[in-house]
Amino acid sequence: MSAIAEVPEGVETEQLGYGRAINAALAEEMRRDERVWMMGQDVAKMGGVFGVTRGLLDEFGPSRVRDTTINETFIVGGAAGAALTGTIPVVELQFADFGLVAGDEIFHKLAKWRYMHGGKLSLPVVVRLPTGVVGGAGAEHSQSLEAIAMHVPGLKVALPATPADAKGLLKTAIRDPNPVLFFEHKGMYRTKGPVPSGDDYLVPFGEAATRRRGDALTVVATGLMVPRALAAAERLAADGIELEVIDPRTLVPLDMETIVASVERTGRALVVHEAVRTAGAGAEIAARIQEAAFFSLDAPIWRLGALDTPIPQDPDLEQLVIPSGEQIEAAARELVAL
Amino acid sequence: MSTRTEKTGETGTASAELALDLYRQVTRIRALELLLHRYVKEHGFGGFWHPGLGQEAVQAGAVSALRREDYLFYAHRGLGYALVKGMAPEVLLGDLFGRTGGSVGGKGGGTVHFVDPELGVLGQGGTLGSNFVLGAGAATSVQLLGEDRVVAVFFGDGAASRGTFHEAALQASVWKLPVVWICENNGWHLSAPFSAQSPTEDVADRAAGYGMPGVVVDGQDSVAVRAATLAAVERARAGEGPSLVEAKTLRIRGHYEGDPQRYRDDIADGLEVPRDPLRILRERVPAAAADDLDAAAESEAEAALEAALEMPKADPGIVTEGVWT
Ligand SMILES: Cc1ncc(C[n+]2csc(CCOP(=O)(O)OP(=O)(O)O)c2C)c(N)n1
Ligand SMILES: [Mg+2]
Repeated sequence: MSAIAEVPEGVETEQLGYGRAINAALAEEMRRDERVWMMGQDVAKMGGVFGVTRGLLDEFGPSRVRDTTINETFIVGGAAGAALTGTIPVVELQFADFGLVAGDEIFHKLAKWRYMHGGKLSLPVVVRLPTGVVGGAGAEHSQSLEAIAMHVPGLKVALPATPADAKGLLKTAIRDPNPVLFFEHKGMYRTKGPVPSGDDYLVPFGEAATRRRGDALTVVATGLMVPRALAAAERLAADGIELEVIDPRTLVPLDMETIVASVERTGRALVVHEAVRTAGAGAEIAARIQEAAFFSLDAPIWRLGALDTPIPQDPDLEQLVIPSGEQIEAAARELVAL
Repeated sequence: MSTRTEKTGETGTASAELALDLYRQVTRIRALELLLHRYVKEHGFGGFWHPGLGQEAVQAGAVSALRREDYLFYAHRGLGYALVKGMAPEVLLGDLFGRTGGSVGGKGGGTVHFVDPELGVLGQGGTLGSNFVLGAGAATSVQLLGEDRVVAVFFGDGAASRGTFHEAALQASVWKLPVVWICENNGWHLSAPFSAQSPTEDVADRAAGYGMPGVVVDGQDSVAVRAATLAAVERARAGEGPSLVEAKTLRIRGHYEGDPQRYRDDIADGLEVPRDPLRILRERVPAAAADDLDAAAESEAEAALEAALEMPKADPGIVTEGVWT
């Protein structure tokens, strides 16, 4: 029982940062399909505030890599309009928080227009949303808002936690005919890992990844909490407590089958995310676990998430708001002993 | 490039053929308006019908300046936009009554959300002002694909206040997108007169800030609306960027049919249309031809209503269909 490789055996890989893996996915998909294009603030010459789109302007030119004005309603609503008319926009908001500035465009246009129009329209849009804490970005630039997207039907939601998944999920997102909110963790852009080099590496939506096998407790973790949960699991393994760590990778669609099967074996579950605990995705996951596996449970399902406060600006303080590896470890020990 | 607001004040010239065609469209819209007025009064309605009575010349004039392949984001007032773009009246009524023969297969009902991608009819935001960014985005596709299409975006004087107008108009001008912004200024945003919504006399004055032409045109004169829209469409087609056309018209009925309009004393309750676009057009078309077109429009509307009412409602299963592609 131990950690599982981030990439399946036998796949040729290179070491890449999470941000570079996203860049590779964008370049490959733009090469593959001329209809794919991108826009956002400072994404062209500068390569985006986090440097993720660097180099794409040179290869694809200013028509397909567009710098917009400071204009979130157009970045998302314009993407919706473009998707209705034959192109496939992949747009970047500088911070996931700014999705709320384009709330009407995300939650009404992207999520509903196919449904409202009797299925006659398609909205193949990917909205890239740098999410989570990054060290001092403050209350309006650090949130994890993915649960809101889960709550409004019509949006797919991806949250990669490894460089390989960042690439494979983004490529799948771009090929998906539905709107996808792609929450990329901006604190992980520099995290390196093995990334499949071929341009046909796709990570399917709705398939959770079991990151580690164990029999004592199922930990369901997303985004930055995946490496934190895995580190906690290593420490617990030293004491003979083996955690199973599952990363759902997409919240819509959500692979409950893998999660439930695991809980049926371990009898215990802890759900961890960086988003606020109250009404977070963990509440939904915990509820669905108990609906499906109540009689397999040996203990209550616990959740860890951010405190019910905004994210403070100070980099030290912000870490106090979101779950730490130590808190995951402590919660796991306590839950296993219940 | 002059970006000052121009008031054309011109009635424009029209060939006999063009005048007849506009008359045909205006009277077709009018016939549907009157029919729906009667229907809603007698039978009620499962939603809000926003009558466009009196505003037919704007919709007919502007949409007739578009080609089949041009894209249209319409507004909530009436059916004229989509009718003139080529959608069949029974399909539009089917949508209003939530019938399977409507363009959205029975998901409609109440406020209109018809669609016909083949005809470029792409929808209407239930949230006012969302058309602006959608339209600019569609125009970005057109530009990227190198297509010869123009995007027409309709909006009211009220919707003109949304911030999305600023965001979309600015980006469309910076990128020289092929968009035509068509403001149907009927003097009212629900209960608020235009004078209480705007510091300037015209919405078109705002165009200057975006470096685009803004013209004001008599919205009761379909020939003039068509001419002004055509100039804007040609400019967009030539790659010179967007323009704003403001057509001054008047809301005759309530915001929705049944609205008692207690906030209003500028107009008597009824169906009388001051400066009626049909009367204005009749100066350009032979009376007999106009009479024939009126009769044809009336029977088209009656037949459409009959056809729409015969269409079945959708099966309950439709409620979960069409969320995903
Ligand atoms: C964002 C938003 N705010 C408010 C409304 C409610 N609403 C629907 S129509 C309307 C008045 C619109 O006025 P105008 O744009 O001038 O169009 P008109 O009704 O006069 O044709 C209002 C306030 C809405 N649908 N969306
Ligand atoms: Mg109005």
